[in-house]
Amino acid sequence: MDVFANLATGFGAAVTPANLLFCLIGCLLGTLVGVLPGIGPIATIAMLLPITFGLDPLSSLIMLAGIYYGAQYGGSTTAILVNLPGETSSVITCIDGYQMARRGRAGAALTIAALGSFFAGCVGTIVIAAFAPVLAGFAEKFRSPEYFSLMLFGLVAAVVLANGSVIKAVAMVILGLLFGLVGTDTQAGVTRFTFGVSELYDGIDFVPLAMGLFGFAEMMGNLEKKLEDRSSTQKIDSLWPTREEAKLAVPAVLRGTLIGSFLGILPGGGAVLSSFASYTLEKKISRSKAMFGKGAVEGVAGPESANNAGAQTSFIPLLTLGIPSTPVMAIMVGAMMIQGIAPGTALLTEKPTLFWGMIASMWVGNLMLVIINLPLIGLWVALLKVPYRLLFPCILILCCVGAYSISSSTFLVLLMAGISVLGYVFNKLGCECAPFLLGFVLGPLMEENLRRSMVLSFGSPTIFVERPISLVLLFMSLALILLIVLPSFRKTREDAFQE
Amino acid sequence: MVRVKSPQDFWAGILFICFGVLALFLGHNYAFGTATRMGPGFLPTTLSWILVILGLIIVFRGLTFDGTAIPPGRLRPQIFVLAGIVLFGLLIERVGLAPTVFVSGLVAAFASQEVNWKEAFLLAAGAAILSVVLFIYLLGQSMTPWMWSP
Repeated sequence: MDVFANLATGFGAAVTPANLLFCLIGCLLGTLVGVLPGIGPIATIAMLLPITFGLDPLSSLIMLAGIYYGAQYGGSTTAILVNLPGETSSVITCIDGYQMARRGRAGAALTIAALGSFFAGCVGTIVIAAFAPVLAGFAEKFRSPEYFSLMLFGLVAAVVLANGSVIKAVAMVILGLLFGLVGTDTQAGVTRFTFGVSELYDGIDFVPLAMGLFGFAEMMGNLEKKLEDRSSTQKIDSLWPTREEAKLAVPAVLRGTLIGSFLGILPGGGAVLSSFASYTLEKKISRSKAMFGKGAVEGVAGPESANNAGAQTSFIPLLTLGIPSTPVMAIMVGAMMIQGIAPGTALLTEKPTLFWGMIASMWVGNLMLVIINLPLIGLWVALLKVPYRLLFPCILILCCVGAYSISSSTFLVLLMAGISVLGYVFNKLGCECAPFLLGFVLGPLMEENLRRSMVLSFGSPTIFVERPISLVLLFMSLALILLIVLPSFRKTREDAFQE
Repeated sequence: MVRVKSPQDFWAGILFICFGVLALFLGHNYAFGTATRMGPGFLPTTLSWILVILGLIIVFRGLTFDGTAIPPGRLRPQIFVLAGIVLFGLLIERVGLAPTVFVSGLVAAFASQEVNWKEAFLLAAGAAILSVVLFIYLLGQSMTPWMWSP
């Protein structure tokens, strides 16, 4: 089998003692930061990104993969133990996970989440290994118009999946696109919106932006609220699920994995969509619907697996097309760029070792997580009991050092301060930051591809409907837009975000 | 007399309009170009107009439909968190990592209402030592530990 030969190459490159160590450190740090309340995976990865700068490309990607899975797992842990979702995709885990914890089954919930995620991660890795080369071959047919339409589809999907007002999400995407255009226009050689600040000539740096919007804005919000009493953290008795719990969990994990692997490939928030879809499915087919919302095992097992499978397969659009489909993937692009790797079709053909090494490292990251985290659950729980007033100054310092060390520039630190004010205002006004971030990343890419398409077609916008792949993508975007306009879907969407 | 029915929408709309107008103003002399040869001003100008129009619609909605009020905020967390970040930026190249972390950690700690002097002092000192060990000695980042080091 070709897939396995390729994977073997990958494992050969990825599994060295040094790389395993980096992966281990990445997992530990990722969980450590991800478990802190109020810090989701996006902020965690942005914060820890600078640590990987000094490593060689493969090791740094492996460490990042470790951080990513660690951060995700950390998010589920806080969701289950203290009912604080770190990101949209673990909102679902909160519903039944926290209820399980209140019934004294926190240990079982955590184990189910971890093992379910591990299984989903394994399947996701195989899906990537099997389909990425196929898709990469398909992607070779992509020219600028197709890329443009695909990114448009991704943005539309991001808007549909944002919670809250649709029109505000659209405006946030547009604003993000505008922010993305700051810097030098490479084709015309003109600087735009830089206010003559030389640090902005290369554009606004991604890391301070993400930390400002997702780290500090949250921090300010958290400090305003009276934080609930942390002593409410549940005690953990046994880690192992009972036989009945396992019986309920296994099929849910299988279904969740299937849903997640498929939906994750779609651009625009695959992980979120998959956990929602999985939860709805589990609730629908369950024989004891009344248990949902009161600590149903399937309500944890399904969405957690779907979430992880989706997180895994959302690497596919990134690795084959070079298009980040979620904010987390956007950070991965940033990290790859810093290492001098351009994700996209060329990656597979030009740097196969790196490509397969990275895929192998995802699996290693997943395994590492199960091995180190189950025994360490006690430690994470202890960390959750540290009062917030002691945690947030440390988080602040971590972010500042991170922003500064990107290019030893004080400007980035000050920029981060400015952006956190902006993020705080967005939060107050009910504007979602995730669409903004996606727009920001896609802005320059979209402009470039729009320009090239226009040169190809001598200025005629019909090029986007004349090319079949592009046309299909535009139709899909249109279908998504119609879906939101339709009242019945609108209602389901509102219900989903209500829970 | 017009009444704001949904303050969240209304002010979000105003914010978008401000950003749009600002971008239009800043970008007014970037060449627009033609459809075939798009100039540097093509996308910024188009997007800014879209943003202004969306902003107007959102403001209109804020005036017609009832909606959420803006959740009340408090100034204390913002001021101290911001002060912590800004101090870090201003000090890091002047006095080195350890004193910077100490000062900005100490200041930031006051963003919380539950702060007490002794605890904040110990926390800042501990963070200063740890960050030097972690970032400079373990991760080898190029920062001076303190201003007097060679």
